[in-house]
Amino acid sequence: MARIEINDLTKEFGTLTALDNVSLELEKGQIVGLLGPNGSGKTTLIKLMNGLLTPTEGTVMINGMEPGVGTKKVVAYLPDRNALPEYMTTAQLLQLYQDFFGDFNLGKAEKMLDDLGIDRKQQMKKMSKGTKEKLQLCLVMARDAEVYLLDEPIGGVDPATRDYILRTIISNYNEDAVVIISTHLITDIESVLDDVVFLKEGKIVLHKKADDIREETGESVDQLFREVFRC
Amino acid sequence: MLGKLLKYEIPALSRRLVPLYIGWAATAVLLGLAVGPFSSKSGFMIVLTSLMYSAVAAAVLVMAVIMIIQRYSNSLLGDEAYFNQVLPVTAAEHIASKAVSALVWVLFSMIVMALTGIIIALFSGFLFDVNIPWTEIFHTIARAGFGEWLAFLQFILLSVISITKSVLAIYTAVTVGHQAQNHTTLASIGAYIGVLVFEALAARIFMTPMQNLFTNVDSAAKLNLGLLVLTLLTLALGAVYFFLCKYFMENKLNLD
Repeated sequence: MARIEINDLTKEFGTLTALDNVSLELEKGQIVGLLGPNGSGKTTLIKLMNGLLTPTEGTVMINGMEPGVGTKKVVAYLPDRNALPEYMTTAQLLQLYQDFFGDFNLGKAEKMLDDLGIDRKQQMKKMSKGTKEKLQLCLVMARDAEVYLLDEPIGGVDPATRDYILRTIISNYNEDAVVIISTHLITDIESVLDDVVFLKEGKIVLHKKADDIREETGESVDQLFREVFRC
Repeated sequence: MLGKLLKYEIPALSRRLVPLYIGWAATAVLLGLAVGPFSSKSGFMIVLTSLMYSAVAAAVLVMAVIMIIQRYSNSLLGDEAYFNQVLPVTAAEHIASKAVSALVWVLFSMIVMALTGIIIALFSGFLFDVNIPWTEIFHTIARAGFGEWLAFLQFILLSVISITKSVLAIYTAVTVGHQAQNHTTLASIGAYIGVLVFEALAARIFMTPMQNLFTNVDSAAKLNLGLLVLTLLTLALGAVYFFLCKYFMENKLNLD
């Protein structure tokens, strides 16, 4: 059984079709790049996997279960916005994660926070946008989850932090997990990707191993992306 | 998980409500002092402090309701929902935690209201000037029969259930209103009007035939029966709202 199984998934918002009959199977032990330009349906797909949207048609299965309490125990999600309570301090957020997620690894979180110099006593609302993003990522990656869904994890941070985040992603996930990274900043993440999914106007136009793309086309994932999505 | 949710839910509102309650109590002290034995009994000061007290009281109560609604809307349907809705918690637990927290704060608002009354009486010297007939009060309480005591307990229970039902009615309207792709606030207000119409119809359908039950019974028993029927109807309405919220959250959730 694939870790993630998506069958004929369609999501419509009124007259707009954000995802159109998408089917996808993702196995554990890989880092998957969900790549596409703005509005291609990446965030919609990730939200559907989290149960934050209701499909118009089709199904999403994670470990053979539809999104619900069972899947939420094993899925670590980094949204494309700050979703944590702004009035809480870093220390309170660590406690919050410990209370709700059985797979939260406090030691791992503490180490990441130390590396990034995030103050435990500071309230989120007093942090810079970049620090908020780093904190959210630390909390998400400190879970020993089976599925990581990261929506634009490197969008709003400086290049040095970007490198740290990518190192964090590689070093913190295990071979039982699958990591899905949604982004359009391909150059930065290409080196960590095992598998690549191109989304265009709500449809999957390509799903291949990153190495196969390089072997078969002689191009980097970034070059191929620019070709496929040329305006 | 409900306990864990409440651990964060109740303090989340206290952060914003407690300062308001302190401000309310402060205006009660000022009003008490303005009419108290040590004041100059200046008419201007009495009018000013009375107006301050009334305005703050009204503002605090309105703010409390707004904050309770905002808390539900933001944390389960707004930006914070992107964290809360991915917690391994059922929709029923989410809704229950919000309802319990709202109930706690509504009850606490009532207690603060009573306390501000006591503060005014204390600082104005009213408590010392007026001879409260405590003995008579205790005798009246002692003479109360089973029916009266039952009615008292029923009244408290009905109040608690009514508050919870009203909170759940608002949550239902907000959840249904959120289904609209645009103008969700307007849609929620529209949904709330629908809820009020539904309640009026339910009361008409169920309460009118029940009136016949209340004939030929003595007054305490009549009161007990009336309160029981009202409690059951309120409980049923609360259950309808709870399951509607749960249905929409489980089957129709669509975060922007």
